[in-house]
Amino acid sequence: MKDLWSAIPRRGRVILLVAITLLLAAPMVLDRYLISIFVLIFYFAYVGQAWNLMMGFAGQLSLGHALYAGLGGYVAALLWFYFGIGPWLGVFAGVAVAATFGAVIGWLGFRFGIEGVYFALLTIAFAEFTRIAFDNMAFTGGAGGLFLLYDAQRSHEWWNLRGGPLLFYYLGLALAAAAAILTARLARSRIGFQWLAVREDQQAALALGINVFRVKMIAVLISSGMTAIGGVLIAFYYNNLFPAQAFDIGRSIEIILAPVIGGLGTIFGPIVGAFILTPLGEGLIALTVSLGVNVPGAKAVFYGLTLMAIITLRPDGVWPWLKRLLGLTETES
Amino acid sequence: MTGILMQPNRRRLLAGAVASAATLAAPAIGRAQSAALKVAVVLPRSGYLAPAGQSCHRGALIAPKVLADHGYNVELVHIDSESNADIARTQTERAIDDGAQAVVGAFDSGSSLAMAQVCEQRQVPLSVNIGAAPQLTEQGYKFLVRNFPTGGMLVSNGLSLIKSLLDVTKLDARTAVFMHANDTFGTAQRAAMDHLFPTAGLPFTLLDSISYDPKAQDLSVEVTKVRSLNPDLLLVVTRAADAIKLVRDMVRQRFEPKGIISPGSPGLYDEEFYQALGPLSDYMLYNLPWANPKAQMTQALEAAFTPANPTFRFAVECFNVGFTFEALLVVAAAYKTAGSATGVELMQAVRETKIADHVMIGPPIQFDEKGQNVGIPSAAVQNRHKTPAVTLPVDVATAMPVLPMPGWQGRT
Repeated sequence: MKDLWSAIPRRGRVILLVAITLLLAAPMVLDRYLISIFVLIFYFAYVGQAWNLMMGFAGQLSLGHALYAGLGGYVAALLWFYFGIGPWLGVFAGVAVAATFGAVIGWLGFRFGIEGVYFALLTIAFAEFTRIAFDNMAFTGGAGGLFLLYDAQRSHEWWNLRGGPLLFYYLGLALAAAAAILTARLARSRIGFQWLAVREDQQAALALGINVFRVKMIAVLISSGMTAIGGVLIAFYYNNLFPAQAFDIGRSIEIILAPVIGGLGTIFGPIVGAFILTPLGEGLIALTVSLGVNVPGAKAVFYGLTLMAIITLRPDGVWPWLKRLLGLTETES
Repeated sequence: MTGILMQPNRRRLLAGAVASAATLAAPAIGRAQSAALKVAVVLPRSGYLAPAGQSCHRGALIAPKVLADHGYNVELVHIDSESNADIARTQTERAIDDGAQAVVGAFDSGSSLAMAQVCEQRQVPLSVNIGAAPQLTEQGYKFLVRNFPTGGMLVSNGLSLIKSLLDVTKLDARTAVFMHANDTFGTAQRAAMDHLFPTAGLPFTLLDSISYDPKAQDLSVEVTKVRSLNPDLLLVVTRAADAIKLVRDMVRQRFEPKGIISPGSPGLYDEEFYQALGPLSDYMLYNLPWANPKAQMTQALEAAFTPANPTFRFAVECFNVGFTFEALLVVAAAYKTAGSATGVELMQAVRETKIADHVMIGPPIQFDEKGQNVGIPSAAVQNRHKTPAVTLPVDVATAMPVLPMPGWQGRT
């Protein structure tokens, strides 16, 4: 931790400390609506970071990351539903199952040289057939969904994630922060440099003696396991899971948007992206309402146009530009 | 005596204070009842559920005027959930922060459940317009009511009506095949069918249950399979697009069962179904809760709907429009009864709801201890001249059911 902290320039440390303090104290002044927005920001920052490890650092494009979030959520929810096993234990099972799926996908892809868009198609295929399987498995609730009992009397049971938005606010914040620290640590480690080597030129990495298969498998395992933890958070936040939503490709796209907008292969990119996208969506809703634009989909059009503008103006993501603007020197990968 | 009355004591002082408070509060109560109830209507007006969400929205748009004509006062805030539970939840929080005193929505069960938790924590009544997941009212929510049948109720009522249809038309049907889309709704209906059919007491044998991909280019393979089984009845759970493909392939393969009946699904009465198939859309039967064409409130709703939506037909949209209107009616009536928009008092009145004069077919709207209206029946509705017509129950029917249905040939 100390080496990570010392690697941040002085101005960056001040900004980081102020940001953390503000986020810790924010619930004292935020209303419930804004807290619920922050829960989503933290969730997307967290799962975006998990995806960023695989794509941004190791260069492996996954378009089916909702699979891992869905599996993590379902496994923990099922353990709670059938056996009363709390999510703090269930999360380990969720991570194990998601990582197993990640290992199978990774093995198939990397062992048989499926790369680029073909690897992305493989990830989509796994998410799709898992969705179909869950649609037809009675013990998971099938297509009709799995529902966790919501009991206001148990809202004090924070250890079972039965609390209100405030609990999920701080939990989401902790997860997003932990993911950023883990990413920073990995980025500065041997494996982090190996990921970058593979991302930049796989043949050159091989020539350097890097075990490319092993390196990529580690990326998939960490990324899938991390995403599963996010899935547990959101499953217990909403208390219901539907295969059509949990494993949907739309959900996978939502997961990757924050790092793409914020900056691929950077530590703060997914966080910045999440802080742009979720408030942007909510802000556009408020704007269209205040302008009296009551046309369905108007917000989606503005949202799409804004994303296009951001990507056109900042093709490397917002964070690298913001970093220069704030006068922060390069401290990341 | 007078002297005694005039003597001040603590009890008399208290009585005087109560009387004064009541006098002072009276105008406030009057104001409360004359002020409109602010209701957030959360519907999926964009995203993959947009067609149905927009149909519900059309019902919500005309509701304030019709409700006002019946002595109810509501002000609506329209929210697009974008077919996304995240947005449904955050926008419900925002609406309540902005003063919404009741919430109506959200067409799909996932969004409704996300909103239910917010409403429960904020103690604001949520009146579900459409959402068939049984768990909605099995989770112990105290601030949620649903005036819509569960998936099980839909299929159970639908199967019961098939029996009535066979009795009324004296159709000799001995075999049937069940076809369903393999999407979320279709798969759930299949599960309900597997569970309920064996005990439904229907006079025919179910030869097979066939699922299909609603996104397939055509359904020729599935229709060939059904044709080889040659059932008397084809029971279907469809959406509009695949229902069109299904009928087209049946016509192509000249497969003519005695009846095509949905035990409880959309698809056979959507506008695009009529537009795409023309006369071939006629005589399809679907057993669903439906607007009572003879009810005064239905007629009032139709009178408001038609000029406001000249390009849409009330007869086709009355399912979504009717249930959305009734969800609003529930909270509006409760507000009138309670005389208060305070969450707990309003919810108490919602739970004690008994509304005899309403839109959909069935007994007065009322809820059990779980917040479910268990008395919602289905009607057997048949397409006639490209328009839905209620054929059963007899007391509200506008046409007699026709079974066996005429062949495809010769329809103009």
